Amino acid sequence: MRSSIARAWEWLIESAIRLAGVLAIIFVLLIFAFLLRDALPTFAEQTPLSGLLGGHEWRPTSEPAQFGMLPLILGSLYVTVGALVIAVPLGLGCAIFVAEIAPPWMREILKPTVEVLAAIPSVVYGFLGLLMIGPWLADVFGLPIGQFAALGSLLLAFMAIPTIVSISEDALRNVPVALRDSSLALGATRWQTIVRVIVPAARSGLIAASLLGLARAIGETMTVLMVTGNAPVMPRALLGFLRPIRTMTATIAAEMGEAAHGSSHYHALFAIGLVLFVITFLINTVADVVVRRAGGVQT
Amino acid sequence: MMRVVSAQNTEKLAFAGLWLCAAIVILPVLGIIVVLAWRGASALSWDLIGGGPHSLLAPIVGTILLVALTGLIAAPLGVAAAVYLSEYSRGGTLVRLIRLAIVNLAGVPSVVYGLFGLALFVVLFQFGRSLLAGACTLALLVLPLVISTSEEALRQVPGSLRHASLALGASQWQTVRRVVLPNALPGIITGLILSIGRAAGETAPILFTAAFYSLTDPFPNSLLDPILVLPYQLFVMTTEVPNVAPATKWATAFVLLAIVLGMNLVAVILRARLRGSRRW
Amino acid sequence: MPDSQPENILRPPGEIKLETKDLDMYYGNFQALTNVSIAMPSRRITALIGPSGCGKSSFLRCLNRMNDVIEQARVDGQVLLDGRDIYSEDTDVVALRKRVGMVFQRPNPFPMSIYENVAYGPRLHTTARGAELDEIVERSLHAAALWDEVKDKLPQTATDLSGGQQQRLCIARVLAVEPEVVLMDEPCSALDPTATFRIEELMTELMENYTIVIVTHNMYQASRVSQYTGFFLMGEMIEYNHTEQIFENPADKRTDDYVRGRFG
Repeated sequence: MRSSIARAWEWLIESAIRLAGVLAIIFVLLIFAFLLRDALPTFAEQTPLSGLLGGHEWRPTSEPAQFGMLPLILGSLYVTVGALVIAVPLGLGCAIFVAEIAPPWMREILKPTVEVLAAIPSVVYGFLGLLMIGPWLADVFGLPIGQFAALGSLLLAFMAIPTIVSISEDALRNVPVALRDSSLALGATRWQTIVRVIVPAARSGLIAASLLGLARAIGETMTVLMVTGNAPVMPRALLGFLRPIRTMTATIAAEMGEAAHGSSHYHALFAIGLVLFVITFLINTVADVVVRRAGGVQT
Repeated sequence: MMRVVSAQNTEKLAFAGLWLCAAIVILPVLGIIVVLAWRGASALSWDLIGGGPHSLLAPIVGTILLVALTGLIAAPLGVAAAVYLSEYSRGGTLVRLIRLAIVNLAGVPSVVYGLFGLALFVVLFQFGRSLLAGACTLALLVLPLVISTSEEALRQVPGSLRHASLALGASQWQTVRRVVLPNALPGIITGLILSIGRAAGETAPILFTAAFYSLTDPFPNSLLDPILVLPYQLFVMTTEVPNVAPATKWATAFVLLAIVLGMNLVAVILRARLRGSRRW
Repeated sequence: MPDSQPENILRPPGEIKLETKDLDMYYGNFQALTNVSIAMPSRRITALIGPSGCGKSSFLRCLNRMNDVIEQARVDGQVLLDGRDIYSEDTDVVALRKRVGMVFQRPNPFPMSIYENVAYGPRLHTTARGAELDEIVERSLHAAALWDEVKDKLPQTATDLSGGQQQRLCIARVLAVEPEVVLMDEPCSALDPTATFRIEELMTELMENYTIVIVTHNMYQASRVSQYTGFFLMGEMIEYNHTEQIFENPADKRTDDYVRGRFG
């Protein structure tokens, strides 16, 4: 029998469940709020804003401290763009391979492999890059040091590929079979069908996949911290890829330990965190809208 | 005639390219596992597991404690949120916002979680650099994963069972508690294992919230003590501490990878066995 | 809209258990039921027939408010159980479903033991445990003509039973709750002829203690089993009368066409 105690208890539980439901929204707002709170002093001190975001010098420990974020922003940009240049074609290629032409046994190998790629901790990537791959590449290409931007791009690419592959594969599978069949029935080869019919039809899912891969790359910390060197300086054109650099994420990780709580340095690092949060928020929201417009590939 | 031949050649070339893509992705993974297994496993010795400086015992214990606590915090929150989304929500703007929030939480850079954990748990709540602060931070990091895997497990339970329960005069909550949750539980647990496997490998969120490096006092005495964990240990040994024997570093990397991949493997096996033994 | 309602809708004599008055039902903008007003008598079997998609299952689900579970469903009008409207503000839906039970088209036993399936309802609604609960389970399985077949395997998983046995288990599950009305939504459509026959026999036995409303697309079943039959067409109740009348001497031409198999 449902006594009033039982009913009250049930109401309590269901309220807790409803509260848990909105937790995600609460946490997003909380993160933004706390980042803003501790970043605000930087925005107040470093005026104008363009000085902060566009300043060429990041010297937090010199007297007077300088907090120009541009080298860091460019650092992230270099590493990320480099990563995408590798990851998008490879990831897309793998996705097309799995969705369209791979024999079943190959699929059974490739899918777990991609999952393993995603599961390898970033610190392990960094370790291998720092101890093995970086020095070897520096040897082969005659670089001054085994830590440079392109190395970060290479490793990041492999970390972003699983994201790109799985979402792209979903998008490709969602293309109606009828489209494929009509193209083949008109005498097109499978490759022509893929290029002219399937890929365009899956376009928005593929774009979303790349965007999410981008977000993954921008947000990566430990790997880039360990392999891209420790040089928060302005990268120089294409050569910058072969020289040490510093991303936004690596800066926070590297310097927070030394920034006294409540100091300008501390606030400046939070400011970087805020910028990162806003960037990834925008990318994720745009990707979500793109997917929704297309009618829903599950991310 | 010429055009047809050329189209077929293009296709052969293109398909060869695609096979190449697959190979380029597969080979490094194999390479990584082989290299780590070879250089790491051979460097393992009882010394390293047992006592001695740079022994792996403390970081292993620390990692286990950290991810266990993370799971304990994230599970009720995540499963409850999943129950809401699967059983109680009714479409509309609120649900869309919630899902957007989940997508965003999943995309926040791990170091930003570290900053948030620092500001909220370490400073505001005054946990200090501690196991507790680290677990709270990591719980937040894996929350989107717990929610999405739990929700999928709940949705696998057929609607006909819910209808049968409701038609017998059960309330919504009674139906969830007695019919839906028990049948979704294996899937939920699989998702939890995946989530804490993920947490085991994370470094950035615990850089300022939980992890430290100590040769003298490696084991925590309370929830509010900092801890040694494998990923941070590997990081510090590789980048900051001089004179660490390469063997030690390789062994640490190997053990970390083995634990993380091992947990993922357990989850995958569980999931496969679940599919086989579905009882409806 | 032609209002053939009063002429071809019989109000059965004797005690009326369930009655609908001007019942309309909508799924979003689509009107599934229009102006349905019929009275279902106590301890009798009322059959609802009609071509697929005509609304008879939707109607059945209004009688125990299972339509509440569907997001876009909306109901206008009244459904009276013993004279009281179940759609009024103060109705306890959970208690309603105890009084009005339902058996579904596809057997849907819980993935639990046979015992636990039948015990599910009593565990929720009564304080019976142990020996008392055992007795309820046994009684319900007897009433569903399933006891002899399962008495030695009560701990076994219910989903191991055959289709017909599963459906009788679902009936036992409903009976364990001690309802007054049992609604059956095409209960035999997923079963073979032998299993169907046994359930039809069961229905006739159950009639002594319960009011039964059954939806079926099998006219022969309706004519074998029920005392009153209602013919649905496109959401409207065209004709409602004693079963013999509907099948041998229907008043409406559409009914006549349907029961003679001129359209399905």
